[in-house]
Amino acid sequence: MTDDLAKCQKERDENLEGWKRAKADLLNYKKDESKRFEIVAKFSQEGLIRELIKTLDSFDLALAALEKEGKAEKGIYLIRAQIEDTLRQNGLERVAVSVGQPFDPNLQEAIVSVESDKPSDTVVEEVERGYLLHGKLIRPARVKVAK
Amino acid sequence: MAKILGIDLGTTNSAMAIVEGGEPKILENHEGARTTPSVAAVSKAGERLVGLLAKRQAVVNPKNTIFSVKRLIGRNFDDKEIQRDKSWLPYEIQKSATGGMEIKMGERWYKPEEISAMTLAKLKADAEMKTGEKIEEAVITVPAYFDDSQRQATKNAGEIAGLKVRRIINEPTAAALAYGLNRKKNEKIVVYDFGGGTFDISVLEVGDDVVEVKGTGGDTHLGGDDFDKRIIEYLVVEYKKQEGIDISKDPLALQRLKEAAERAKHELSTAMETEINLPYVTSDASGPKHFLMKMTRAKLEELVRDYIDRSIDLTGQALNEVKLKPSEIDEVILVGGQTRMPAISGAVKKFFGKEPHKGINPDEVVAIGAAVQAGIFQGDVKDILLLDVTPLSLGIETLGGVFTALIEKNTTIPTSKSQIFSTAAENQTSVEIHILQGERPMAADNKTLGRFILDGIPPSPRGIPQIEVQFDIDANGILNVSAKDKASGKSQSVRIEASTQLSKDEVDKLKQEAAVHAEDDKKKKELAEARNMGEQTIYLAEKSLKEAGDKISVEIKDAINAKIGELKTVKDGSDIEVIKSKTAELSMEIQKIGQSIHPPHDNADEASK
Repeated sequence: MTDDLAKCQKERDENLEGWKRAKADLLNYKKDESKRFEIVAKFSQEGLIRELIKTLDSFDLALAALEKEGKAEKGIYLIRAQIEDTLRQNGLERVAVSVGQPFDPNLQEAIVSVESDKPSDTVVEEVERGYLLHGKLIRPARVKVAK
Repeated sequence: MAKILGIDLGTTNSAMAIVEGGEPKILENHEGARTTPSVAAVSKAGERLVGLLAKRQAVVNPKNTIFSVKRLIGRNFDDKEIQRDKSWLPYEIQKSATGGMEIKMGERWYKPEEISAMTLAKLKADAEMKTGEKIEEAVITVPAYFDDSQRQATKNAGEIAGLKVRRIINEPTAAALAYGLNRKKNEKIVVYDFGGGTFDISVLEVGDDVVEVKGTGGDTHLGGDDFDKRIIEYLVVEYKKQEGIDISKDPLALQRLKEAAERAKHELSTAMETEINLPYVTSDASGPKHFLMKMTRAKLEELVRDYIDRSIDLTGQALNEVKLKPSEIDEVILVGGQTRMPAISGAVKKFFGKEPHKGINPDEVVAIGAAVQAGIFQGDVKDILLLDVTPLSLGIETLGGVFTALIEKNTTIPTSKSQIFSTAAENQTSVEIHILQGERPMAADNKTLGRFILDGIPPSPRGIPQIEVQFDIDANGILNVSAKDKASGKSQSVRIEASTQLSKDEVDKLKQEAAVHAEDDKKKKELAEARNMGEQTIYLAEKSLKEAGDKISVEIKDAINAKIGELKTVKDGSDIEVIKSKTAELSMEIQKIGQSIHPPHDNADEASK
C-alpha cells in the first residue's frame, strides 16, 4: 500500500514536471516564433533586393561608360537614385569603401590583386559596390587589392 | 540536457544541424548562411579568418588560404592522391616527421586536422550563439571510403575544436538516417552524392540495427564546380565568336559571368530556357559591350552530358564490385546540390528503374542525418511523449450543405476549437448541428459522425443569434461537440468515441477521394456559396424595401422587385456566373434606395455648414 502510494506520488511528480515543461516549451516557442517572425518579415524581401542590386550595378557601369563619352544625362542619375532610395527605405545600405584603406574581408571581396604604388594589402579600386540589408551584409564590395 | 551538434564537414562546404523538439533542423552560421565554406586563412596582417571571410580574400592571399583540406586529412604524404593534389593546390605542403603532412599557413606549419578544427570551431561558436547553449559534443560525418587513419584524424580535429566527438558516421549512412531508412530491415540502399568538388557513390545494406557499407565508388575530382566551369567556358567562347572579345581576361566581367552562369544553372533546373543579361559587361575601342545570350536546358545538358554519363558508369562499377544489379537496389538517395539538375535525377531514375528520394534539401541532408544520430544519443532521457494527430478534418454542415471544418486534418491532439455560427432564417428557434469528418468541401460527401439539435433559441432576425460551437478532442481521440446559444445560455452536446478510429486504409481512401474530386467539389462549393450570396442579397433587398416604405418612388421599387424576381428564377439553377451577375445587378439596384433617401451633397463644404 505504501509502495503503491510512493509509486503514485513519483508518477504524479513526473507528470506534473512534464506538464510544466510542455507549458514552458510552448511559451518559449511562442517567444522564439515571434522573434523569428520579425526577422522573416524584415528579410522577406531579401531575394528581390538581391536581384535589384544587379540592376544598380548595371546602372553604375552604364553611367561610368557614358561619363567617359561625356554623354551621361542627369536623368539617368536620377532614375538610379530613385531605385536606390526605394531600396534604402527598405533597409538597404551601401558599404563605404575608401581607396588606400586596408582590405577588409568582413565587408569586401578581393577579385584581383594588382601592382600598385599603394601599400600592400590596401584597396586600390572599388569595382562593384557592396550592400548591407538591415545591417547584414548581403553583397560584399568587390575591390582590387594592392600586391 | 546539452545539445549534440550534427556536422557535415565537407570538402568545399560544411553544414550543421541540431534536434529541436524532436525534429532535426539546420542551424545558420553567424553570417546567416545555411552552409559554411570549409576554408581557413591567415591574412597578411596575421589575423585568422574562417569560412566566407577566408574565401573573400583567397584571390589576394592564395598561399595562406587553405581549402580542400579534407583531401589531405589523415593521409600519408607519399600517397598517390596527395602527390596529384599537391600539384594544383596553391598552398605549401611538406612531409611531417611521422610520414603525414604539414601545411604552411602564415608563419607556421599546421597539421591538416588543425586546419579542419578551425572550421569546426567556427561552427561550434556559431551554433552556441544561435542556440544560446553551450555545445560540447558532436557527431561528425566522413565519406564511406575514409580509412581508420582519416577517421581518427577527423575525430582529432573535433577534439582540437573543443568538441567531444560522440561518433564519426558515414555520410551516406547519415543521408539514409535523414530519410528514416535505417528502420527498413534487409534493404539495399544506394546513395548518389554529387557535391561541389567530389562525386561519391555508396552501397549500403540495412541489417539488424546497423547500416553496413557494402561498397563505394566515385571520383574525388568530379563535382558541380566542373559544371559551372563548363558553362563559363562555353559562354566565353560564344562571346568571343559574337563580339571578338575575350572577357575571361577582365576579372570583374568574369566574376559577373560566374554568378550569371550559376544562376542560369539553377534556373534551368525548373525552366526550359533562361536569358543571361549583363549590360556593360566590358568595353573595347568602339565603346561599351553588353552580354545577352539565351541558354536552353537542352544546351546545358549537352555541355555536361559526359560528366553525367561518367557518374552513371561509376555507379554501375560500384554495383558490379559488390555483385548487385540495379534492380536489386531497394532505395536510392540523392545527395549534393548538383542532383537538383533534372538530367541527373532523370539519369539516376532510368538506371535504377525507380524514383530516387529527394525530399530533403540535398545540400543539407547529410547534416540533418548527423543531427538525427545526435538526437538518438540525446534521446536516452525519458521525455518522448508521443502525441497523436487527427487524420481527417472535423467540422459541421453549414448553409447550402457546405462542410465547415473546425479542426483541420493533421492537428495534434488533445486540442479544442470553437467558432460562432448563426441562423439562416427569420425567427429560427432551433439549429441542427451535423458533425462530419472528411476532406470534401460539401457535407454530403463526408462521413457523418453524429448530429443533435439545439432548440429554445429566442425568435430573432436571421444572422442575429450567436451560437458557439465547440469541438474538443482529448488525448484518447474522444470528440466532444457542444453548441451554446449565447443569448439564452441554452446548450447541447454530444460525445463521439470513434473519431480517430479509422484504419490507415480508410484514411488514405478518403484523402484520395478528396484529391480525385477536388475540381468538381470546388465547383459545387462555389455554387453553394453563390446561392447563399444570392439568397442573402434577396433578403437584404426585401428588408430594405420594407424599411424604406413610401420614402422611395414606385419606379425604384418596381425595378428592385423585377431584379429580385430575376435572381429568384436563376438562383436554384447551376450556372454560377448567371447567379453571380444577377446578384450583382440586384445589389446595384438596392443602392438606389440609399441614394434616393439621402441624396448626395454637391460638395463637402456644403455638408459641413
